[in-house]
Amino acid sequence: MKHPRDEKLALFAGGDLGVLERWRVSRHLRCCDGCRAEVARFRRAAAVLSGEADRLPAGLKWERLAAEMTGNIRVGLAAGQCVPPVAAPRPELGWARPAALVAALTIVILGGWFLQGPRMLMPQRVVAGPVLEATPAGVEVKASRGALTLLNTRAASPAVYVSAPGSLRARFVDSETGQVTINNVYAE
Amino acid sequence: MKDAADTAVQDSQELQSRFIADNLRRIFLQIYRIVGNVDDAQDLTQEAFIKALQHQEQIRDAQKAAHWLSRIASNTAIDFLRRHARVSSCDIDSLAEPIAGPDEDSPEEMVLRTEHSEYLRDGLRLLTERERAALILRDVEGLPAEEVAARLRCSKATVRSHIANARIKFRRYLEGRRR
Repeated sequence: MKHPRDEKLALFAGGDLGVLERWRVSRHLRCCDGCRAEVARFRRAAAVLSGEADRLPAGLKWERLAAEMTGNIRVGLAAGQCVPPVAAPRPELGWARPAALVAALTIVILGGWFLQGPRMLMPQRVVAGPVLEATPAGVEVKASRGALTLLNTRAASPAVYVSAPGSLRARFVDSETGQVTINNVYAE
Repeated sequence: MKDAADTAVQDSQELQSRFIADNLRRIFLQIYRIVGNVDDAQDLTQEAFIKALQHQEQIRDAQKAAHWLSRIASNTAIDFLRRHARVSSCDIDSLAEPIAGPDEDSPEEMVLRTEHSEYLRDGLRLLTERERAALILRDVEGLPAEEVAARLRCSKATVRSHIANARIKFRRYLEGRRR
């Protein structure tokens, strides 16, 4: 006959086995005096333990200890009332993280639009003197009251080059004769 | 207005005093069985009561409050053991093998007759901290194994193993004392 292990009997004695295991052990106990006695010993040990649980340690002066503990509890509570309660950490909100992400993305998109997009919001630069600039027709000098444009009516759109010292060169090619005309306009 | 406030404070203090008087011995013993010494049990008992009494609204219903206080007490004791990570284990095989005897002369009855609670204390000291806590919560406090597992923050299978080992060691200890 195969006997259940001690662990099983210990758990059986305290009613801690599952349904199937309990059924198996109780079936074995019906025909095994030794295991039945083991279970009885476990139960007696448990009874001793719970019976003794209410007994104070030997030599302990309970009245004195109880008075001391009661006093300490009161002092502890009074000290707790003097100290303001520590603010509990805010509960982590489920929407806070996505909201922060959306805000960050919005800032990035707006910043990109502001830097790369139309400069309508940028203040216009005010120029006091005459301005030399290339136009589709040729080279133009603008002043506050009028403009002077160098044109070549027989040529197609000119190629205009800007040089580093501040001059503009317009290169016209006559569509009929192939004659090339170059206008250099220097800014001073 | 001031009288009403004074009366409320007085009522609250009376409620506290009654709560302490009704539960102090039981909670001290509960913690003492788990931690195994008077000094630590005293500190932890005080700590458990202070924790509980900081939520006075919970102690109006005496029965629920007693159960709630037990829970605080066992958690306080278990946290203490966890913090200190004390090890006092004993291999089951190193304990004396039980000698079967007639029921009327059982070692348990001998222990009861001698009334030496040190026997029990020494027996409980043979267990590991977790085995002792599991045994006390299950066999003395009568908590179901699931609740014991929750308090010890481990699985039910682990708790069953602790309980089984603790019962075996404790029974062998009691029977070994007879020799």
